[in-house]
Amino acid sequence: MAETARQSFDPLATGSRSRQLRARTIVYALLGFFALLYLSPLLIILMNSYRPLAEIVREGFISGPETMSWRYWGEAWGSFCLGGSCEGVSRYFYNTLVMTVPATILSTAFGVVNGYVLSKWRFRHDTWVFGLITLGVFLPAQMTLLPWAFVLGKIGLSNSLAGLVLVHTVQGISFTTLFCRNYFVAVPDDLIKAARIDGAGFWRIFRRIMLPLSPPILIVCVIWQFTGIWNEFLYGAVLTSGANQPITSAIVAFSGSGTGERHYNVEAAAVIFAALPPLFIYLIGGKYFVRGLTSGAVK
Amino acid sequence: MKSHRSVRMSSLSAFAVVAVATTAQAEPKINMMHQWAQGSEAEAIAKLGEMFEAAGGSWEQTAISGHTSDMLAKLSADIVAGNAPPAVQLKGPEIAQWSAVGTMADLDDVAAEEGWDDVVAPELVSVMKPDGNWVAAPMNIHRVNWLYSSKAILDELGLEVPTSWDEFNAACDKIMAAGHTCIAHGAADWSDTTTFDSVVYGMDIDLYRKAFQDGDVEAMRGQGMVDAFAQLRKMVGYMDDGINGRSWEQSMTMTMTGEAAFFLMGDWTVASANLAGFKEGEDYLCNQTPVDWGGTGFILNADSVVFFGQEDPDYVQGQKLLASTIMSPEFQVTFNVAKGSIPSRTDVDLSKGGFTGCQQQGLADLKASAAEDTLVRSMAHNMTVPQKYRGAMMEVITEFVADDSITPEEAAEQLAEAVELQD
Amino acid sequence: MQPLLGARLSRWTPQLVLVPTLAAAFVYVVVFSVWTLWISVSQSTLLPNMAYGGFGEYAALWQSKRWIVSYQNLFLFGALYVLGSLFVGTLLAILIDQRVRFESVWRTIFLYPLAISFIVTGTVWRWIFHPQTGVERALSDMGWLSANVDWITDRDMALYVVVFTGIWHASGFAMALILAGLRSVDGDLIKAAQIDGASMPRIYRCVVLPTIWPIFVAVTVVLLQFAIKTYDLVVALTQGGPGVATTVPAIVVYDLMFERGQIAQGAAAAVMILAALAIVLVPYVVWTSWRDRKQGAAHG
Repeated sequence: MAETARQSFDPLATGSRSRQLRARTIVYALLGFFALLYLSPLLIILMNSYRPLAEIVREGFISGPETMSWRYWGEAWGSFCLGGSCEGVSRYFYNTLVMTVPATILSTAFGVVNGYVLSKWRFRHDTWVFGLITLGVFLPAQMTLLPWAFVLGKIGLSNSLAGLVLVHTVQGISFTTLFCRNYFVAVPDDLIKAARIDGAGFWRIFRRIMLPLSPPILIVCVIWQFTGIWNEFLYGAVLTSGANQPITSAIVAFSGSGTGERHYNVEAAAVIFAALPPLFIYLIGGKYFVRGLTSGAVK
Repeated sequence: MKSHRSVRMSSLSAFAVVAVATTAQAEPKINMMHQWAQGSEAEAIAKLGEMFEAAGGSWEQTAISGHTSDMLAKLSADIVAGNAPPAVQLKGPEIAQWSAVGTMADLDDVAAEEGWDDVVAPELVSVMKPDGNWVAAPMNIHRVNWLYSSKAILDELGLEVPTSWDEFNAACDKIMAAGHTCIAHGAADWSDTTTFDSVVYGMDIDLYRKAFQDGDVEAMRGQGMVDAFAQLRKMVGYMDDGINGRSWEQSMTMTMTGEAAFFLMGDWTVASANLAGFKEGEDYLCNQTPVDWGGTGFILNADSVVFFGQEDPDYVQGQKLLASTIMSPEFQVTFNVAKGSIPSRTDVDLSKGGFTGCQQQGLADLKASAAEDTLVRSMAHNMTVPQKYRGAMMEVITEFVADDSITPEEAAEQLAEAVELQD
Repeated sequence: MQPLLGARLSRWTPQLVLVPTLAAAFVYVVVFSVWTLWISVSQSTLLPNMAYGGFGEYAALWQSKRWIVSYQNLFLFGALYVLGSLFVGTLLAILIDQRVRFESVWRTIFLYPLAISFIVTGTVWRWIFHPQTGVERALSDMGWLSANVDWITDRDMALYVVVFTGIWHASGFAMALILAGLRSVDGDLIKAAQIDGASMPRIYRCVVLPTIWPIFVAVTVVLLQFAIKTYDLVVALTQGGPGVATTVPAIVVYDLMFERGQIAQGAAAAVMILAALAIVLVPYVVWTSWRDRKQGAAHG
C-alpha cells in the first residue's frame, strides 16, 4: 500500500501547465549542471589517458587531445615497470581481487547475522553491544596499524594476504552490522512473533523471513565493503610485501617519482583499471542502494 | 672493459662461492625494502637485483612508494610483528636510532675483507658505523647545494653565475627587472628547507654546523639565523606566484627552458634533466650555491641500505652478499649514473661510465671540500639531527615561506622553540 | 537431558552467534584504544615501549602550531563536509524524486565518485585545481587571461577546496540513502498535506524530511567517520599545504608515529582525535536516551 500510494504522488503535477513546465525545466537544468560537475574528473582522466606525455606537460590537463593513442592502456595493464616487475598493474589487480572478495563476503555474512540478532532478539545491554561494535567504524587506520601488526605477528599471519583479509573483515563487520541492524529494525516485529508462535527457531526465522528481505541491504554491504577494501592503501601497503601488494600501491607508485618524469597518461589509464571493479559493482548494484528500505515487505 | 667487468663478476661470484661453502650450504637470499617503485631509481634497483642474482643470490624486493612515512610505517609494523626486514633503505641519524632499538647485522668481516674504511668518504663512515660496527652500506653521495642556472637568461643579460649572496641578490634584481622570474621553486617542506640549508651554509658555515648539525637552539635564535631568514624572505620575493603545488621537476623544467633563471636543488636534478633531454652547458649550468666565505662548499646527502639482524642463515648470507654488491664499483657506477649522484667510494674513476660533467665536478668538489674542512651533512635531507627535530624545523621553515606576515625575527624564535619543544 | 540442553542452547543462540564478533570488536575497539592510551603516556619513540613516561607528550602536542591548526581543521572540515554532503545529497535526492526520466543514469552519475579511491580523487582534483595545469590554465588558454582559480594555493581558501572535493566524493552516497528514504514515506501523509493546500517545498520540509530523520542519522554517522579518518584525500590534494594550512589530525598522527619516530606523541594525537569524536557523540547519546526516556514516560 505504501508503495502504490507513494507512486501516485508526483510533486511536479501540481499547479498549472506552465508552472509545471517551468518546474520541470529547473529540475533538469539543476540535474544537468550537477551531472557535469560530477562527471568532469572522470572525463578528464579518460581524456588524459590517450594523450602523449609531452602534450599533457605542455598544454595542461584540461585541453582537447591533439594526438590520441591507445598504447598507454596496454602499457598500464601489461608492460609498465612498477615495483620490481614490468607487468603493469595486472599483477596488483589480481592480488587485490584475492584479498577483497573473501573479506567482503565474510564481513557481509557476519554483518547480516549480527544485524538480525541485534534488531530482533533483544537482550539486556544489547544497545551497548551494538554501540561497541559500531564504535569500530571511527577508529583511524593510523592508530590501529601497529596493534594489528603485533596481533598478526603473534598469530603468524603477518605479511600475508590472509592476514589482510582478517583485518579488513574485522574492521568491516562494524560497518555491515551497523547497516544491517538499522535496516532490519524496519521489519515488523509482528512477523517474528507470529513465526515464533508457529514454533520457528532462531535460524528458521533467519532463513525464512530475514534472508528473503535482505537483498537490498546485502548489496549495500557488498558495495560498501568491496569499494572500501579495494581502494584502501595503508594496510594494503604495510601488511603485504614484495609480490603481494594491492593495486592502490601501484597507483601510488606512479606519483612517487624521485627522478624521472611522471607518466600522467599511463597513470590515468592505470587509475581507470583500478577503478573498474568498484565502478562495475556500482553499475549493477546501484539501484539497490535506492530501493525503498521497506520494499516488497510486509503489509 | 668487458674483461674488467667479468673479472669483477667472477670475484663477486668467487666470494659468494666461498661464503656459501663456509656456511654449510646456506643459500643467500634477500628481501630489500625501499622507496623506489618507479622510474630510473627503480631500474637501478632492478640492476642491483640482477647483479645479486648473478652472484648466486635469490632476490626479492618490496617497493613502498609514496612518502617516507609509508616505508617507515611498514618497517615499524614488520619489527613489531617480529619480522625485521633483512635490508631496508634508511639513512643518516635513523641508522643510529634504529641501531639503538633493534638488533643489527654485523658486516665488519665483509668490510674488512673489502677495505671499506679506506674507500668510503670519511664523513659517511661515522654514519654507517653508529656503534663502531658496519651496519649499513652507502649507495651514493648526493650533493645538495647545487645552483642550476639558465644559460639563456644569463647570456641574454650578460651575467655571470653569482658566487656570493650579495652577487646573487644583485643578479636577481637585474633579472626581475628584465621581466623574468629569478628563482624557480616548488613549495614543499623538504624543498623549502633544501633552499634554506644552502642559505644558512653559504652565509655562515659555523652557524650551519651549530644550528643544523648539532641542534644548538641558541644558535637558532641568534642574529645569524635572523639574517638567514631575511635572505630567504628576499628569495621568496624573487619567485613567482605558482610555487604552491608545483613539483620540483616542473621548477627544473622552468629553469632549463629559460622561464626562470635559477634553481636551487640537489644533484638528482641532473638525472631528471638527462631524461628530459636537457644538456649541461647548453641549457643549464651547474655551480655550487653562493657562499660568502669563498671556497668550496659541499652539503652531503647519502642513501644507504641498513641490515637488521636475522635468524635465518640464508638471509644472513644474503645480507653480506648484498652489502658487497652495493659497495662494488660496478654497482656504484650503474646506480650513480642513473641517479645523478656520485659513488660513495672515492676510488671510482668518474671519467668513464657516462657520468656528466656536473657529476665529475661534484666529486672534485667533494675532495676539495673535505680537504678544506667545509664538508657538512644535510639537515634538509635527514642526515644530521633526528627526525623529530628536523620535522619541527621544516614546519617552521615551510610556514615562513608560505606566510609572508612572519618576520625573520619571529621565524628564528619559532625555530628555536619548535626544537626545544621536542625534548 | 538432550531436549533440555538443546533448549538451553537455543535460548542462548542469539548471544552465542554474536560472540565471535563481540570478541573481535572487544579486541579491535577496546584493547587497541587502551593500548593507544597507554602508549601516549609511555616512553615510546621509534618502537612501542611500555615504560611509563608521563603526560609530557600531550603538552608538547598542544604547543605545536601544526597540531592546533589540524585540530581546528578537523572541526571546520568535519562540519562543512558532513553538512555539505547532507545538503547536496538531499537536494539531489529531491530532484531525482521528481519522477525524472533516466533516473538510473542520474543516480549512477552522482554515485560513482564513491567508487573512486580517496587517493585518486585527491590527485585528479589537484590536477584540476592547480593554476598551472587545470581550470585556470584552460580558461586562460581560451582567452580569459585574468581568470583566477587558484584557491588551492591560497592559505585561507585551500581548506574549502578540500571540503568541496570531499563533498563531491560522498554526496552521492547521502543522496542514495536519502532517496531510498524519500521513497519509503507513507503516501497518505503526503496526500493529506496536499489536501490541506501545502506547496511542494513545504511538504518536503515539514512532512517528508522529518519523517526520514533516522536515515539522516545513519548517513551522518558514515560521513562523520569519513571526516575523522581523512588522510589520503588531503595528502593527495594538497599534502597538508600550503604550509600547514590544510593539515588534518590523521596526518599528524601518522607523521609523528612513523616519520618522526615519536610514537608516544602520535598516540597522544590519536587519543585527541577520539576525544573530538566523544565531544560529538556523547551529547548525541545523552540526548537520545533522554528522548527515549521521555517517550517511555509518555507511553507509560
